[in-house]
Amino acid sequence: MKPALKFIFAALVVGGFATVPSWGSAVLVQFGINALILATLAQSWNIIGGYTGYPSFGNSVFYGLGGYGVAIALVQYQLPSAVGLILGVVLAVLFAFLLGLPVLRLRGHYFAIATLGLTEVMTAIVSNLDIAGRNVGLILPLAKGDTLFLELSLALLVVTTLAVAWISRSRFGFGLIAIRENEVAAAVMGVNTTLYKILAFALCAVFSALAGGIHAYWITYLDPGSAFDVSLNVRMIIMAVFGGPGTIFGPALGAFALAAISEILASKITSLASIFFGVVIVVAIIFMPRGVADLAQNFRRFGWRYFQENIKAHRV
Amino acid sequence: MDNILEVRNLTKRFHGLLAIDRVTFALERNQILGLIGPNGAGKTTLVSLVSGTLQPTEGSVLFEGKPIHRLAGFRRALLGIARTFQVMRPFPGLTVLDNVAVGALFGAAGSTRQLAAAREDANRWLHFVGLDHRVRQRADALGGPDRKRLELAKALAMRPKLLLLDEVMAGLNPVEIEEVITVIKKVRDQGISIVVIEHVMKAIQSLSDRLLVLHHGEKIAEGKPQEVLRNDQVIAAYLGSKRR
Repeated sequence: MKPALKFIFAALVVGGFATVPSWGSAVLVQFGINALILATLAQSWNIIGGYTGYPSFGNSVFYGLGGYGVAIALVQYQLPSAVGLILGVVLAVLFAFLLGLPVLRLRGHYFAIATLGLTEVMTAIVSNLDIAGRNVGLILPLAKGDTLFLELSLALLVVTTLAVAWISRSRFGFGLIAIRENEVAAAVMGVNTTLYKILAFALCAVFSALAGGIHAYWITYLDPGSAFDVSLNVRMIIMAVFGGPGTIFGPALGAFALAAISEILASKITSLASIFFGVVIVVAIIFMPRGVADLAQNFRRFGWRYFQENIKAHRV
Repeated sequence: MDNILEVRNLTKRFHGLLAIDRVTFALERNQILGLIGPNGAGKTTLVSLVSGTLQPTEGSVLFEGKPIHRLAGFRRALLGIARTFQVMRPFPGLTVLDNVAVGALFGAAGSTRQLAAAREDANRWLHFVGLDHRVRQRADALGGPDRKRLELAKALAMRPKLLLLDEVMAGLNPVEIEEVITVIKKVRDQGISIVVIEHVMKAIQSLSDRLLVLHHGEKIAEGKPQEVLRNDQVIAAYLGSKRR
Protein backbone atom coordinates (compact mmCIF):
# COMPACT_ATOMS: atom_id res chain seq x y z
CA MET A 1 0.00 0.00 0.00
CA LYS A 2 1.08 3.55 -0.68
CA PRO A 3 1.74 5.68 2.43
CA ALA A 4 -1.18 8.01 1.63
CA LEU A 5 -3.54 5.03 1.34
CA LYS A 6 -2.27 3.70 4.65
CA PHE A 7 -3.05 6.96 6.39
CA ILE A 8 -6.55 7.09 4.89
CA PHE A 9 -7.11 3.53 6.08
CA ALA A 10 -5.80 4.44 9.56
CA ALA A 11 -8.12 7.47 9.66
CA LEU A 12 -11.08 5.18 8.80
CA VAL A 13 -10.12 2.79 11.62
CA VAL A 14 -9.90 5.70 14.06
CA GLY A 15 -13.28 6.99 12.90
CA GLY A 16 -14.73 3.51 13.28
CA PHE A 17 -13.51 3.21 16.86
CA ALA A 18 -14.84 6.67 17.72
CA THR A 19 -18.36 5.73 16.67
CA VAL A 20 -18.47 2.36 18.49
CA PRO A 21 -20.32 3.72 21.57
CA SER A 22 -23.18 4.96 19.37
CA TRP A 23 -23.96 1.56 17.85
CA GLY A 24 -21.99 -1.13 19.70
CA SER A 25 -22.91 -3.01 22.87
CA ALA A 26 -21.30 -2.27 26.23
CA VAL A 27 -19.19 -5.41 25.81
CA LEU A 28 -17.90 -4.22 22.46
CA VAL A 29 -16.98 -0.83 23.90
CA GLN A 30 -15.08 -2.50 26.72
CA PHE A 31 -13.32 -4.75 24.24
CA GLY A 32 -12.47 -1.63 22.25
CA ILE A 33 -10.91 0.11 25.25
CA ASN A 34 -8.83 -2.95 26.07
CA ALA A 35 -7.70 -3.37 22.48
CA LEU A 36 -6.76 0.31 22.18
CA ILE A 37 -4.73 0.22 25.38
CA LEU A 38 -2.95 -2.95 24.27
CA ALA A 39 -2.29 -1.36 20.89
CA THR A 40 -0.80 1.71 22.60
CA LEU A 41 1.43 -0.54 24.70
CA ALA A 42 2.54 -2.56 21.66
CA GLN A 43 3.18 0.70 19.81
CA SER A 44 5.31 2.15 22.61
CA TRP A 45 7.22 -1.14 22.92
CA ASN A 46 7.83 -0.69 19.19
CA ILE A 47 9.93 2.42 19.93
CA ILE A 48 12.46 0.63 22.14
CA GLY A 49 12.04 -2.92 20.83
CA GLY A 50 11.16 -2.40 17.17
CA TYR A 51 13.12 0.70 16.24
CA THR A 52 16.02 0.67 18.71
CA GLY A 53 16.33 -3.12 18.85
CA TYR A 54 16.29 -3.44 22.64
CA PRO A 55 13.77 -6.14 23.63
CA SER A 56 12.46 -4.55 26.81
CA PHE A 57 10.63 -6.59 29.44
CA GLY A 58 10.47 -3.51 31.65
CA ASN A 59 7.66 -1.71 29.87
CA SER A 60 5.11 -3.12 32.29
CA VAL A 61 6.99 -1.15 34.97
CA PHE A 62 6.14 2.06 33.10
CA TYR A 63 2.57 0.86 32.73
CA GLY A 64 2.34 0.08 36.45
CA LEU A 65 3.91 3.38 37.48
CA GLY A 66 1.39 5.20 35.29
CA GLY A 67 -1.42 3.35 37.03
CA TYR A 68 -0.04 4.06 40.48
CA GLY A 69 0.44 7.73 39.60
CA VAL A 70 -3.29 8.05 38.95
CA ALA A 71 -4.28 5.85 41.88
CA ILE A 72 -2.12 7.66 44.45
CA ALA A 73 -3.17 11.10 43.21
CA LEU A 74 -6.86 10.22 43.34
CA VAL A 75 -6.99 8.09 46.48
CA GLN A 76 -4.32 9.57 48.74
CA TYR A 77 -4.44 13.23 47.76
CA GLN A 78 -7.86 13.70 46.10
CA LEU A 79 -6.20 15.39 43.13
CA PRO A 80 -7.77 15.55 39.66
CA SER A 81 -7.07 12.56 37.40
CA ALA A 82 -5.10 14.70 34.92
CA VAL A 83 -2.60 15.47 37.70
CA GLY A 84 -2.43 11.74 38.37
CA LEU A 85 -1.62 11.00 34.74
CA ILE A 86 1.16 13.58 34.82
CA LEU A 87 2.48 12.14 38.09
CA GLY A 88 2.53 8.68 36.52
CA VAL A 89 4.41 9.96 33.47
CA VAL A 90 6.95 11.76 35.64
CA LEU A 91 7.55 8.63 37.72
CA ALA A 92 7.94 6.46 34.62
CA VAL A 93 10.30 8.89 32.88
CA LEU A 94 12.42 9.21 36.03
CA PHE A 95 12.56 5.45 36.20
CA ALA A 96 13.54 5.26 32.52
CA PHE A 97 16.43 7.69 33.04
CA LEU A 98 17.70 6.27 36.32
CA LEU A 99 17.55 2.61 35.34
CA GLY A 100 18.00 3.07 31.63
CA LEU A 101 21.51 4.37 32.24
CA PRO A 102 22.85 1.08 33.65
CA VAL A 103 20.44 -1.35 31.96
CA LEU A 104 20.81 0.02 28.42
CA ARG A 105 24.52 -0.81 28.55
CA LEU A 106 23.48 -4.44 28.18
CA ARG A 107 22.42 -5.89 24.86
CA GLY A 108 20.17 -8.63 23.52
CA HIS A 109 19.29 -11.38 25.98
CA TYR A 110 21.16 -9.71 28.81
CA PHE A 111 19.09 -6.58 28.42
CA ALA A 112 15.88 -8.63 28.29
CA ILE A 113 16.71 -10.52 31.50
CA ALA A 114 17.78 -7.37 33.36
CA THR A 115 14.56 -5.57 32.48
CA LEU A 116 12.59 -8.67 33.46
CA GLY A 117 14.21 -8.35 36.88
CA LEU A 118 13.10 -4.71 37.14
CA THR A 119 9.46 -5.79 36.95
CA GLU A 120 9.87 -8.22 39.84
CA VAL A 121 11.75 -5.65 41.90
CA MET A 122 9.02 -3.07 41.39
CA THR A 123 6.33 -5.54 42.48
CA ALA A 124 8.26 -6.20 45.67
CA ILE A 125 8.89 -2.52 46.39
CA VAL A 126 5.34 -1.34 45.75
CA SER A 127 3.91 -4.22 47.83
CA ASN A 128 5.64 -2.66 50.81
CA LEU A 129 4.68 0.99 50.29
CA ASP A 130 1.90 2.35 52.46
CA ILE A 131 1.17 5.14 50.02
CA ALA A 132 0.49 2.55 47.29
CA GLY A 133 -1.77 0.45 49.51
CA ARG A 134 0.85 -2.28 50.05
CA ASN A 135 -0.04 -5.64 48.54
CA VAL A 136 -3.77 -5.05 48.98
CA GLY A 137 -3.80 -2.33 46.35
CA LEU A 138 -5.88 0.79 45.92
CA ILE A 139 -9.54 1.23 45.02
CA LEU A 140 -10.11 4.30 42.88
CA PRO A 141 -13.26 6.43 42.84
CA LEU A 142 -15.70 5.41 40.13
CA ALA A 143 -15.40 7.51 36.98
CA LYS A 144 -17.80 8.53 34.26
CA GLY A 145 -18.90 6.11 31.53
CA ASP A 146 -16.94 3.95 29.12
CA THR A 147 -17.32 6.34 26.18
CA LEU A 148 -14.89 8.77 27.77
CA PHE A 149 -12.31 6.01 28.24
CA LEU A 150 -12.74 4.83 24.67
CA GLU A 151 -12.08 8.36 23.45
CA LEU A 152 -9.12 8.81 25.80
CA SER A 153 -7.45 5.55 24.81
CA LEU A 154 -8.16 6.20 21.12
CA ALA A 155 -6.59 9.65 21.36
CA LEU A 156 -3.57 8.15 23.13
CA LEU A 157 -3.10 5.51 20.43
CA VAL A 158 -3.31 8.17 17.72
CA VAL A 159 -0.69 10.32 19.46
CA THR A 160 1.59 7.33 20.03
CA THR A 161 1.28 6.27 16.40
CA LEU A 162 2.01 9.82 15.23
CA ALA A 163 5.11 9.81 17.42
CA VAL A 164 6.22 6.55 15.82
CA ALA A 165 5.49 7.95 12.36
CA TRP A 166 7.68 10.94 13.19
CA ILE A 167 10.42 8.65 14.48
CA SER A 168 10.43 6.64 11.26
CA ARG A 169 11.22 9.76 9.21
CA SER A 170 13.37 11.84 11.54
CA ARG A 171 17.05 12.16 12.27
CA PHE A 172 16.36 10.88 15.79
CA GLY A 173 14.60 7.80 14.40
CA PHE A 174 17.43 7.08 11.98
CA GLY A 175 19.79 7.22 14.93
CA LEU A 176 17.67 4.62 16.71
CA ILE A 177 17.51 2.39 13.63
CA ALA A 178 21.29 2.70 13.21
CA ILE A 179 21.71 1.58 16.83
CA ARG A 180 19.47 -1.42 16.16
CA GLU A 181 21.33 -2.38 13.02
CA ASN A 182 24.85 -1.96 14.38
CA GLU A 183 25.57 -0.01 17.52
CA VAL A 184 29.35 0.27 17.08
CA ALA A 185 28.97 1.56 13.54
CA ALA A 186 26.27 3.99 14.68
CA ALA A 187 28.59 5.50 17.31
CA VAL A 188 31.42 5.84 14.81
CA MET A 189 29.08 7.71 12.48
CA GLY A 190 28.26 10.27 15.16
CA VAL A 191 25.17 8.89 16.90
CA ASN A 192 25.18 9.62 20.64
CA THR A 193 24.10 6.07 21.36
CA THR A 194 23.70 6.37 25.16
CA LEU A 195 21.55 9.49 24.91
CA TYR A 196 19.46 8.14 22.04
CA LYS A 197 18.75 4.85 23.78
CA ILE A 198 17.67 6.60 26.97
CA LEU A 199 15.47 9.04 25.08
CA ALA A 200 13.81 6.13 23.30
CA PHE A 201 13.32 4.35 26.63
CA ALA A 202 11.85 7.52 28.16
CA LEU A 203 9.58 8.10 25.18
CA CYS A 204 8.08 4.64 25.48
CA ALA A 205 7.81 5.25 29.24
CA VAL A 206 5.62 8.29 28.56
CA PHE A 207 3.10 6.43 26.40
CA SER A 208 3.08 3.24 28.49
CA ALA A 209 2.51 5.25 31.67
CA LEU A 210 -0.40 7.12 30.10
CA ALA A 211 -1.92 3.81 29.01
CA GLY A 212 -1.48 2.41 32.52
CA GLY A 213 -3.02 5.52 34.06
CA ILE A 214 -6.06 5.43 31.82
CA HIS A 215 -6.51 1.71 32.42
CA ALA A 216 -6.28 2.03 36.23
CA TYR A 217 -8.74 4.92 36.22
CA TRP A 218 -11.08 2.86 34.07
CA ILE A 219 -11.14 -0.41 36.05
CA THR A 220 -10.93 1.57 39.35
CA TYR A 221 -8.70 -0.98 41.04
CA LEU A 222 -4.96 -1.51 41.18
CA ASP A 223 -2.70 -3.98 42.97
CA PRO A 224 1.02 -4.71 42.49
CA GLY A 225 0.42 -8.04 40.76
CA SER A 226 -1.77 -6.62 38.00
CA ALA A 227 0.11 -3.32 37.69
CA PHE A 228 3.55 -4.86 37.13
CA ASP A 229 2.36 -7.89 35.20
CA VAL A 230 5.13 -9.55 33.17
CA SER A 231 2.61 -11.42 31.03
CA LEU A 232 1.26 -8.06 29.89
CA ASN A 233 4.76 -7.18 28.73
CA VAL A 234 4.95 -10.50 26.90
CA ARG A 235 1.67 -9.67 25.19
CA MET A 236 3.02 -6.27 24.09
CA ILE A 237 5.99 -7.99 22.48
CA ILE A 238 3.89 -10.72 20.83
CA MET A 239 1.50 -8.11 19.42
CA ALA A 240 4.25 -5.83 18.16
CA VAL A 241 6.17 -8.71 16.61
CA PHE A 242 3.01 -10.26 15.15
CA GLY A 243 2.15 -6.95 13.51
CA GLY A 244 5.65 -6.06 12.40
CA PRO A 245 8.24 -4.45 14.68
CA GLY A 246 9.89 -1.31 13.38
CA THR A 247 6.88 -0.34 11.22
CA ILE A 248 4.41 2.49 11.81
CA PHE A 249 1.10 0.61 11.79
CA GLY A 250 2.18 -2.99 12.35
CA PRO A 251 2.11 -3.10 16.16
CA ALA A 252 -1.35 -1.51 16.39
CA LEU A 253 -2.61 -3.87 13.69
CA GLY A 254 -1.11 -6.85 15.49
CA ALA A 255 -2.69 -5.76 18.76
CA PHE A 256 -6.16 -5.46 17.23
CA ALA A 257 -5.86 -8.79 15.43
CA LEU A 258 -4.61 -10.73 18.43
CA ALA A 259 -7.00 -9.05 20.87
CA ALA A 260 -9.88 -10.01 18.58
CA ILE A 261 -8.62 -13.58 18.11
CA SER A 262 -8.15 -14.17 21.84
CA GLU A 263 -11.54 -12.59 22.60
CA ILE A 264 -13.34 -14.82 20.08
CA LEU A 265 -11.50 -17.91 21.29
CA ALA A 266 -12.25 -17.09 24.91
CA SER A 267 -15.96 -16.65 24.26
CA LYS A 268 -16.38 -19.79 22.11
CA ILE A 269 -14.16 -22.38 23.75
CA THR A 270 -13.26 -20.95 27.11
CA SER A 271 -10.98 -23.62 28.56
CA LEU A 272 -8.90 -24.30 25.46
CA ALA A 273 -8.66 -20.66 24.40
CA SER A 274 -5.08 -20.09 25.49
CA ILE A 275 -3.92 -23.28 23.76
CA PHE A 276 -5.44 -22.12 20.48
CA PHE A 277 -4.00 -18.69 21.01
CA GLY A 278 -0.61 -20.35 21.34
CA VAL A 279 -1.19 -22.23 18.08
CA VAL A 280 -2.02 -18.96 16.31
CA ILE A 281 1.24 -17.41 17.52
CA VAL A 282 3.33 -20.43 16.50
CA VAL A 283 1.75 -20.56 13.04
CA ALA A 284 2.28 -16.82 12.62
CA ILE A 285 5.93 -17.07 13.57
CA ILE A 286 6.55 -19.94 11.16
CA PHE A 287 4.74 -18.41 8.19
CA MET A 288 5.24 -14.68 8.67
CA PRO A 289 8.12 -14.09 11.08
CA ARG A 290 8.40 -10.45 10.06
CA GLY A 291 4.81 -9.67 10.92
CA VAL A 292 1.59 -8.61 9.27
CA ALA A 293 3.11 -5.40 7.92
CA ASP A 294 5.74 -7.34 5.98
CA LEU A 295 3.10 -9.82 4.79
CA ALA A 296 0.94 -6.99 3.47
CA GLN A 297 3.93 -5.53 1.65
CA ASN A 298 5.29 -8.67 0.04
CA PHE A 299 2.35 -11.04 -0.38
CA ARG A 300 1.21 -9.39 -3.58
CA ARG A 301 4.66 -9.57 -5.07
CA PHE A 302 5.43 -13.16 -4.13
CA GLY A 303 1.96 -14.69 -3.65
CA TRP A 304 1.92 -17.99 -1.78
CA ARG A 305 5.66 -18.34 -2.34
CA TYR A 306 6.03 -15.71 0.39
CA PHE A 307 5.23 -18.34 3.04
CA GLN A 308 7.52 -20.93 1.46
CA GLU A 309 10.39 -18.46 1.39
CA ASN A 310 9.85 -17.58 5.04
CA ILE A 311 9.91 -21.21 6.10
CA LYS A 312 13.11 -21.76 4.12
CA ALA A 313 14.82 -18.60 5.33
CA HIS A 314 14.07 -19.04 9.02
CA ARG A 315 14.30 -22.81 9.37
CA VAL A 316 16.19 -23.71 12.50
CA MET B 1 53.60 22.79 9.65
CA ASP B 2 49.84 22.32 9.70
CA ASN B 3 49.13 18.95 11.26
CA ILE B 4 45.56 17.73 11.26
CA LEU B 5 46.43 14.72 13.40
CA GLU B 6 49.14 14.24 15.98
CA VAL B 7 49.62 11.03 17.88
CA ARG B 8 52.03 11.15 20.82
CA ASN B 9 53.34 8.19 22.76
CA LEU B 10 50.13 6.34 22.18
CA THR B 11 49.90 3.04 24.07
CA LYS B 12 47.15 0.46 24.24
CA ARG B 13 47.34 -2.58 26.50
CA PHE B 14 44.78 -5.38 26.42
CA HIS B 15 45.46 -6.98 29.80
CA GLY B 16 48.84 -8.63 29.19
CA LEU B 17 49.08 -7.81 25.51
CA LEU B 18 50.80 -4.62 24.45
CA ALA B 19 48.95 -3.89 21.19
CA ILE B 20 50.31 -0.38 20.59
CA ASP B 21 53.59 0.62 22.17
CA ARG B 22 54.43 4.35 22.43
CA VAL B 23 53.64 5.24 18.84
CA THR B 24 54.22 8.83 17.77
CA PHE B 25 53.47 10.34 14.38
CA ALA B 26 51.80 13.29 12.70
CA LEU B 27 49.69 13.70 9.62
CA GLU B 28 49.84 16.92 7.63
CA ARG B 29 46.62 18.36 6.32
CA ASN B 30 45.66 17.14 2.86
CA GLN B 31 48.16 14.28 2.88
CA ILE B 32 47.76 10.53 2.67
CA LEU B 33 49.54 8.40 5.25
CA GLY B 34 49.90 4.71 4.53
CA LEU B 35 49.87 2.45 7.55
CA ILE B 36 51.47 -0.94 6.92
CA GLY B 37 52.76 -3.87 8.87
CA PRO B 38 52.37 -7.64 9.18
CA ASN B 39 49.19 -9.21 10.51
CA GLY B 40 48.68 -8.46 14.18
CA ALA B 41 51.00 -5.45 14.11
CA GLY B 42 48.32 -3.20 15.63
CA LYS B 43 47.19 -1.24 12.58
CA THR B 44 43.47 -1.58 13.21
CA THR B 45 43.97 -0.92 16.92
CA LEU B 46 45.76 2.32 16.08
CA VAL B 47 42.88 3.41 13.83
CA SER B 48 40.37 2.46 16.55
CA LEU B 49 42.27 4.60 19.07
CA VAL B 50 42.10 7.59 16.75
CA SER B 51 38.42 7.07 15.84
CA GLY B 52 37.37 6.47 19.43
CA THR B 53 36.21 2.88 19.05
CA LEU B 54 38.89 2.11 21.66
CA GLN B 55 40.30 4.27 24.45
CA PRO B 56 44.10 4.48 24.85
CA THR B 57 45.91 3.25 27.96
CA GLU B 58 48.43 6.08 27.71
CA GLY B 59 49.49 8.84 25.36
CA SER B 60 47.52 11.43 23.49
CA VAL B 61 45.77 12.05 20.20
CA LEU B 62 45.46 15.62 18.94
CA PHE B 63 43.03 16.54 16.19
CA GLU B 64 43.53 20.03 14.76
CA GLY B 65 45.68 20.76 17.80
CA LYS B 66 43.08 19.76 20.37
CA PRO B 67 43.33 16.60 22.50
CA ILE B 68 40.56 14.14 21.64
CA HIS B 69 41.73 10.85 23.15
CA ARG B 70 39.28 11.08 26.04
CA LEU B 71 36.27 11.94 23.87
CA ALA B 72 33.60 9.35 23.06
CA GLY B 73 33.63 7.98 19.52
CA PHE B 74 30.52 9.83 18.38
CA ARG B 75 32.00 13.19 19.46
CA ARG B 76 35.06 12.56 17.33
CA ALA B 77 32.75 11.79 14.41
CA LEU B 78 31.05 15.15 14.96
CA LEU B 79 34.46 16.84 14.95
CA GLY B 80 35.19 15.40 11.52
CA ILE B 81 36.81 11.99 11.89
CA ALA B 82 35.35 9.14 9.86
CA ARG B 83 36.53 5.57 9.54
CA THR B 84 35.69 2.42 7.67
CA PHE B 85 35.87 -1.04 9.19
CA GLN B 86 38.01 -3.86 7.89
CA VAL B 87 35.28 -6.27 8.98
CA MET B 88 32.51 -4.31 7.30
CA ARG B 89 29.73 -3.04 9.48
CA PRO B 90 26.83 -2.00 7.27
CA PHE B 91 23.34 -1.56 8.66
CA PRO B 92 22.11 -4.83 7.15
CA GLY B 93 18.35 -4.22 7.26
CA LEU B 94 18.48 -0.76 5.68
CA THR B 95 18.69 0.05 2.01
CA VAL B 96 22.06 1.03 0.60
CA LEU B 97 20.73 4.58 0.28
CA ASP B 98 19.64 4.83 3.91
CA ASN B 99 22.94 3.35 5.09
CA VAL B 100 24.69 6.32 3.55
CA ALA B 101 21.93 8.73 4.62
CA VAL B 102 22.77 7.93 8.28
CA GLY B 103 26.25 9.28 7.58
CA ALA B 104 24.80 12.46 6.08
CA LEU B 105 22.34 12.93 8.98
CA PHE B 106 25.02 12.54 11.63
CA GLY B 107 28.70 12.79 10.85
CA ALA B 108 30.69 16.01 11.08
CA ALA B 109 29.04 19.04 12.66
CA GLY B 110 26.91 20.98 10.22
CA SER B 111 25.69 17.89 8.45
CA THR B 112 22.19 17.95 7.07
CA ARG B 113 19.34 17.29 9.49
CA GLN B 114 16.53 16.66 7.02
CA LEU B 115 15.94 13.12 5.78
CA ALA B 116 15.11 14.14 2.21
CA ALA B 117 18.26 16.24 1.90
CA ALA B 118 20.33 13.47 3.51
CA ARG B 119 19.06 10.96 0.96
CA GLU B 120 19.93 13.34 -1.88
CA ASP B 121 23.39 13.68 -0.40
CA ALA B 122 23.62 9.91 -0.08
CA ASN B 123 22.72 9.51 -3.74
CA ARG B 124 25.59 11.77 -4.71
CA TRP B 125 28.11 9.83 -2.64
CA LEU B 126 26.86 6.51 -3.97
CA HIS B 127 27.39 7.84 -7.47
CA PHE B 128 30.85 9.02 -6.42
CA VAL B 129 31.91 5.50 -5.35
CA GLY B 130 30.09 3.84 -8.26
CA LEU B 131 27.25 2.16 -6.41
CA ASP B 132 24.33 4.05 -7.93
CA HIS B 133 22.81 0.94 -9.51
CA ARG B 134 22.25 -0.73 -6.11
CA VAL B 135 20.76 2.20 -4.22
CA ARG B 136 17.42 0.55 -3.44
CA GLN B 137 18.74 -2.83 -2.35
CA ARG B 138 19.17 -3.90 1.22
CA ALA B 139 22.76 -3.61 2.39
CA ASP B 140 22.99 -7.30 3.29
CA ALA B 141 22.26 -8.19 -0.35
CA LEU B 142 25.58 -6.66 -1.43
CA GLY B 143 28.63 -8.74 -2.20
CA GLY B 144 32.11 -8.11 -0.76
CA PRO B 145 33.44 -5.48 -3.20
CA ASP B 146 30.20 -3.50 -3.13
CA ARG B 147 30.18 -3.60 0.66
CA LYS B 148 33.65 -2.04 0.61
CA ARG B 149 32.31 0.72 -1.61
CA LEU B 150 29.35 1.17 0.74
CA GLU B 151 31.68 1.53 3.73
CA LEU B 152 33.53 4.24 1.83
CA ALA B 153 30.33 6.06 0.83
CA LYS B 154 29.04 5.97 4.43
CA ALA B 155 32.27 7.50 5.70
CA LEU B 156 32.36 10.14 2.96
CA ALA B 157 28.74 11.17 3.58
CA MET B 158 29.86 12.23 7.06
CA ARG B 159 31.85 15.06 5.44
CA PRO B 160 34.97 14.24 7.41
CA LYS B 161 38.18 16.25 7.58
CA LEU B 162 40.12 13.10 8.42
CA LEU B 163 39.30 9.76 6.85
CA LEU B 164 40.64 6.50 8.25
CA LEU B 165 40.43 3.66 5.74
CA ASP B 166 40.92 0.17 7.14
CA GLU B 167 41.68 -2.17 4.24
CA VAL B 168 39.13 -0.89 1.76
CA MET B 169 40.91 -2.72 -1.05
CA ALA B 170 41.23 -6.18 0.47
CA GLY B 171 39.46 -8.76 -1.66
CA LEU B 172 39.10 -6.50 -4.69
CA ASN B 173 40.45 -7.43 -8.13
CA PRO B 174 43.08 -5.25 -9.84
CA VAL B 175 40.51 -3.31 -11.86
CA GLU B 176 38.44 -2.58 -8.76
CA ILE B 177 41.58 -1.56 -6.87
CA GLU B 178 42.39 0.95 -9.62
CA GLU B 179 38.88 2.38 -9.27
CA VAL B 180 39.17 2.72 -5.51
CA ILE B 181 42.58 4.39 -5.82
CA THR B 182 41.06 6.94 -8.19
CA VAL B 183 38.25 7.57 -5.73
CA ILE B 184 40.64 8.01 -2.79
CA LYS B 185 42.76 10.47 -4.79
CA LYS B 186 39.61 12.40 -5.68
CA VAL B 187 38.70 12.48 -1.99
CA ARG B 188 42.11 13.89 -1.11
CA ASP B 189 41.72 16.53 -3.79
CA GLN B 190 38.61 17.72 -1.94
CA GLY B 191 40.85 18.62 0.99
CA ILE B 192 40.40 15.54 3.15
CA SER B 193 43.39 14.08 4.97
CA ILE B 194 43.58 10.30 4.88
CA VAL B 195 45.14 7.39 6.76
CA VAL B 196 45.11 4.18 4.72
CA ILE B 197 45.74 0.69 6.04
CA GLU B 198 46.50 -1.60 3.17
CA HIS B 199 48.23 -4.85 2.27
CA VAL B 200 48.28 -4.24 -1.47
CA MET B 201 51.81 -2.83 -1.73
CA LYS B 202 51.48 -1.39 -5.21
CA ALA B 203 48.33 0.48 -4.22
CA ILE B 204 49.77 1.90 -1.05
CA GLN B 205 52.98 2.96 -2.78
CA SER B 206 51.15 4.93 -5.43
CA LEU B 207 48.72 6.47 -2.95
CA SER B 208 50.73 7.45 0.10
CA ASP B 209 52.70 10.62 0.62
CA ARG B 210 54.31 8.98 3.63
CA LEU B 211 54.42 5.49 5.06
CA LEU B 212 54.41 4.33 8.65
CA VAL B 213 55.36 0.75 9.48
CA LEU B 214 54.12 -0.99 12.59
CA HIS B 215 55.53 -4.24 13.96
CA HIS B 216 54.42 -5.81 17.24
CA GLY B 217 52.75 -2.53 18.14
CA GLU B 218 55.89 -0.45 17.68
CA LYS B 219 56.71 2.03 14.96
CA ILE B 220 59.74 0.62 13.16
CA ALA B 221 59.93 3.03 10.25
CA GLU B 222 58.42 6.21 8.88
CA GLY B 223 59.08 8.31 5.82
CA LYS B 224 58.74 8.47 2.05
CA PRO B 225 57.43 5.21 0.55
CA GLN B 226 60.55 4.32 -1.47
CA GLU B 227 62.87 4.88 1.49
CA VAL B 228 60.70 2.98 3.94
CA LEU B 229 60.33 -0.03 1.68
CA ARG B 230 64.13 -0.29 1.34
CA ASN B 231 64.54 -0.22 5.11
CA ASP B 232 66.19 -3.43 6.39
CA GLN B 233 64.00 -3.61 9.48
CA VAL B 234 60.86 -3.35 7.36
CA ILE B 235 62.02 -6.07 4.97
CA ALA B 236 62.88 -8.26 7.97
CA ALA B 237 59.45 -7.72 9.50
CA TYR B 238 57.73 -8.72 6.30
CA LEU B 239 60.00 -11.42 4.90
CA GLY B 240 62.04 -12.52 7.90
CA SER B 241 65.66 -11.50 8.40
CA LYS B 242 68.42 -12.54 5.99
CA ARG B 243 70.62 -15.41 6.94
CA ARG B 244 74.09 -14.31 7.72
